[in-house]
Amino acid sequence: MKQPTVIEPIPPALMAEPLNWLFAEHYRHRHYCSLIEQIAAAAVVPHEDIQATLGFLRRDLPLHIVDEEDDLFPLLRRRCQPEDELDLALGNHRDDIDAVAQLVEVLEAALRQERPVSDDPQAQQLLTAFVARERSHIALENAVVLPIARLRLTQEDLDLFSRRMAARRGLLDRTATTSAPAA
Amino acid sequence: MIATLLDNNLTWAAERARADANWLQHRDDAAPPDYLWIGCSDSRIPAHELVGLEPGELLVHRNIANLAPNGDLNLLAVLQLALETLKVRHIIVCGHTGCRSVHLALDKRRHGVLDHWLRSVRRLGEDQAATLRAVRDPETRTNIVAEWNVVDQVRSLAGNPLVRDAWRRRQPLTLHGWMHAIRDGLLSDLEVSVSSRADAARLLSPAPATQRRLSAGRRP
Repeated sequence: MKQPTVIEPIPPALMAEPLNWLFAEHYRHRHYCSLIEQIAAAAVVPHEDIQATLGFLRRDLPLHIVDEEDDLFPLLRRRCQPEDELDLALGNHRDDIDAVAQLVEVLEAALRQERPVSDDPQAQQLLTAFVARERSHIALENAVVLPIARLRLTQEDLDLFSRRMAARRGLLDRTATTSAPAA
Repeated sequence: MIATLLDNNLTWAAERARADANWLQHRDDAAPPDYLWIGCSDSRIPAHELVGLEPGELLVHRNIANLAPNGDLNLLAVLQLALETLKVRHIIVCGHTGCRSVHLALDKRRHGVLDHWLRSVRRLGEDQAATLRAVRDPETRTNIVAEWNVVDQVRSLAGNPLVRDAWRRRQPLTLHGWMHAIRDGLLSDLEVSVSSRADAARLLSPAPATQRRLSAGRRP
């Protein structure tokens, strides 16, 4: 059955719990992965699905990458113990940024040319490869990185992380003394 | 061309005067700054803007790769002014992500005088070569070395005789190491602040292996 195109945004209040926010974002990412698979297989150009996916790729995913690369991972770098063995998961965000840029290009071209992605095997492969990478990333983070973060990050770390996520999205309430982002 | 800059200055001065009629008076009455900022010449946003201060509220020293070597006469002069005349309470060494100077220090090519200036950064990369080899993304590698470099500069300042004299005089003074993320403008505290000779002794002792460990990244 076709997934609904509209994937609910996460309530900004959840930003007060940054690890749960990231977990919820992973859930949304899974929905977008299904949507991207449908776009890759469709025989016609699914305008609405492509627009929704472009919104995700242009804003949500880059912000998610920055949340992880600039906040979560540096915090883990400082707080992890040798037995956590997180060295196994070394970063390569340049690949992600490049992959997102390529995907945006393919989807924009599909809209512009009114040509389904399935007409171009190379473009189709790009979409399916992206989905495979994204799913593997989500599985690793949900199973390894987030549980270790829950164990090692302090409440102070999480409060700061929350405020930085809110600031990055222009949602930080200057007058707030707590970590709660402005809804 | 160059005249445009002088014209822009007129416009800027007029805008400041319109925004605050007493601006000149405020500048004359301004208290000496509490902060000395040691930043990178390549950093792309003025330091005072990053921390929400007026320009005069921050004494700024910038050089390639935000270094604080104890033999740099320029830095020593700034430190002397900051500590003995202005009596700043905080010295912030701030590196930044995407630092082209750190990238040059790590790229194994010849860059003339820059190689001389950046030799301590290059040495950081060489000392930790095995660790850095595990990081596939060159940008992440540069950012990690930029962080290590900030910590090294705080360590260097903690051993600087002018700083140690200030502590000996019981002058309130804290050294901080921060990073500035170019893409969203956010600052991170690297948690290496030192406020006394005792703190400094801890910082100057050899770093535990875990401090220089690398950890998570987005992709396995």
